[in-house]
Amino acid sequence: MDNLLLVTRPKYDDGTEYLSAYALEVLKEAKKSNASVKDFEGKEANKENVEKYLKSKNPKLIFLNGHGSECEIYGHKEEVIFSLDNVNLLKNKITYARACFSASILGHEIVKNNSGCFIGYIYPFSFWMDGKRSATPLKDKIAGMFLNPSNEIVVSLLNGETAKKANEISKKMMAANMRKILSMEQKNEPGATGMLQILWDNYEGQVVLGNEEMCF
Amino acid sequence: MNEKESISEDIKELVIARLDIMPSTYKLSIGSEGTFTRKQLIEHVIAEDKIGNQITRMQLNFIKALTTGKLIETLNKNG
Repeated sequence: MDNLLLVTRPKYDDGTEYLSAYALEVLKEAKKSNASVKDFEGKEANKENVEKYLKSKNPKLIFLNGHGSECEIYGHKEEVIFSLDNVNLLKNKITYARACFSASILGHEIVKNNSGCFIGYIYPFSFWMDGKRSATPLKDKIAGMFLNPSNEIVVSLLNGETAKKANEISKKMMAANMRKILSMEQKNEPGATGMLQILWDNYEGQVVLGNEEMCF
Repeated sequence: MNEKESISEDIKELVIARLDIMPSTYKLSIGSEGTFTRKQLIEHVIAEDKIGNQITRMQLNFIKALTTGKLIETLNKNG
């Protein structure tokens, strides 16, 4: 299995536009490493393309962006890419799904009886955004508080960290952002508590399943 | 918390009060449920529907972390 990174970046609503934009930052980091990247963007993020690539190239690291549920991860316009019917394609790999509830059931099935690893969420992956910045997600400092720590998972994996360590680094960044938000609250900046509780939910909901010592 | 569990009026008021102080330009993305303004979130909390109950669960989870010391413990651990 080569050092291949497969990324899905559907883009069809506010949430996926933001996830897609922030995932591009990870792709920039990947270019600095020795990883080869296959990026399925927009309508290219569909089941047919992803399955074909997985079967032919056998990438080791999978970074899925988009919406999800307990048993499914979606691509463009909520077309199902992964469900309980094709989880075998993700076995013995490192998968990070930046998608709601992906670690509730699907993630457990992915790591069952193999040496792979899955990082995802047992709760919704949620984030506040500033509507004034929605045309330029990367300039949205509010959304960055939530999305940059999740980017750090893949960046850490690209840097050779284990899945366990990548999750810890991501959570440290979340904790640092929570401290920043607490200091905003002390200055009576509006909305700080609302931001803190969503970031806390992401913190508690982010889990590593399976082989935590797996590296890219 | 699921859709069928009823939420006490006190809790609902607390959740709404916290949402009401969010800046009007902010929107919350909740996965495939969509992206919501504070006004829309408050409407969902009042309706006690799936999205409203999800918001209420998040707030109760946070309050629990505050009152049990779990939040502070986490921040100290990651300091």
